[in-house]
Amino acid sequence: MKHLSRAELVDFIEASPHMPAARARHASTCSECRAEADALRSILALATTDDVPEPSPLFWDHFPARVADAVRDEVPGRSSDAPAGMRWLRAPVMTWAVAATMSLLVIITVVWRTTLHAPAPVMVPATGAPAAANATGAPVAGTASSDESDVDTDEAWAVVRAAAQDLRWEEAHAAGLSAPPGAAEGLALELTADERSELARLLDEELKPNGA
Amino acid sequence: MSVTRDRTDAARPAVPGLDLEASVDDRTLVDACRAGRRDAFDVIVQRHQRQVYQLCYRFVGNHEDASDLAQDVFIRAYRGLHSFKGNSAFSTWLYRVAVNVCLNRVASHAPRLAAFDLADRPDPRVERADTRLLRGERAAEVRAAIARLPRKQRAALILRVYHELPHEAIAEIVGSSVGAVKANFFHALANLRKLLRAQP
Repeated sequence: MKHLSRAELVDFIEASPHMPAARARHASTCSECRAEADALRSILALATTDDVPEPSPLFWDHFPARVADAVRDEVPGRSSDAPAGMRWLRAPVMTWAVAATMSLLVIITVVWRTTLHAPAPVMVPATGAPAAANATGAPVAGTASSDESDVDTDEAWAVVRAAAQDLRWEEAHAAGLSAPPGAAEGLALELTADERSELARLLDEELKPNGA
Repeated sequence: MSVTRDRTDAARPAVPGLDLEASVDDRTLVDACRAGRRDAFDVIVQRHQRQVYQLCYRFVGNHEDASDLAQDVFIRAYRGLHSFKGNSAFSTWLYRVAVNVCLNRVASHAPRLAAFDLADRPDPRVERADTRLLRGERAAEVRAAIARLPRKQRAALILRVYHELPHEAIAEIVGSSVGAVKANFFHALANLRKLLRAQP
């Protein structure tokens, strides 16, 4: 037969009426269960002998007065720590931590969207002609120069440019900001033929000595 | 503080004319307290202070902390009287407040157990000095071992052994099942045995 469970052992040492007769019979015949029960009984007897020292009789006389003094200015059944509308302020630390994290995330998102990821400002053309041409669906002359101008005047890009102005390659590399090995090759393979030729042209221009 | 139904659920006397000197049941005192009779709470304190103090002492092991903790229990009970719905005995509800306060306390403070004091021990005129000494030392060891038990095991042991509450009442107080309380009680005794055996 199965040995007594923990709850059954507790019932057995306490002679509980909830103990089924069959289990009690097992406990009285099983040496393992009896040994376990005897050990628990002995430790229970040892613990039971310890009494709480009785304080001075004066303590009991003064204690209600101490409590009465402590709650004198309070309304029963209502905490005086904070007014009813302010009880949320006593929320546990975790609630505050979550609230602070959420606030921080919202602030970061707002700053991110309003600075770095803001849409480029719309450039007003010098004359109304291109706009009019655009309205008719015709290609706009001078779009490339307009894009360059956008980059120059884009505040978000200005932030990046200012941050990167004094950055040296060695510093960026040391800070782990450099591209991983093979990244440039991978990127070049993803370009279309036109994009690759344009890239080659730009690199040529950049690498040519001035005035060449 | 017995965990039984309060003395009566019958019609209660009108609160303003309540005679607090009479043997008024706890619920009537709570109603009177809620109605503004501050002296009704004094009666509650007088009625339950000994049990609350003893419970606190079992958790912290010294008089100073136990008296502060017992005061804290009654202050919290006073503030939380609105949450006493009367579904269980007031004493059960007060035990729940007390156990929560004690468990929070022991979670944040290491117990400062009172030094073994012969004056705390039973009547010296009827007990030999060496027997007394051994008894006192053993009691101090038991207290120290109980203080090292995990919180739930300690609560189950204290409420069962020293307050003689039934497992069902303990389950209601600590907010768990009767089976869980019995398991905690079993583990408390088993761990106590290990701790005491391990002592030099």
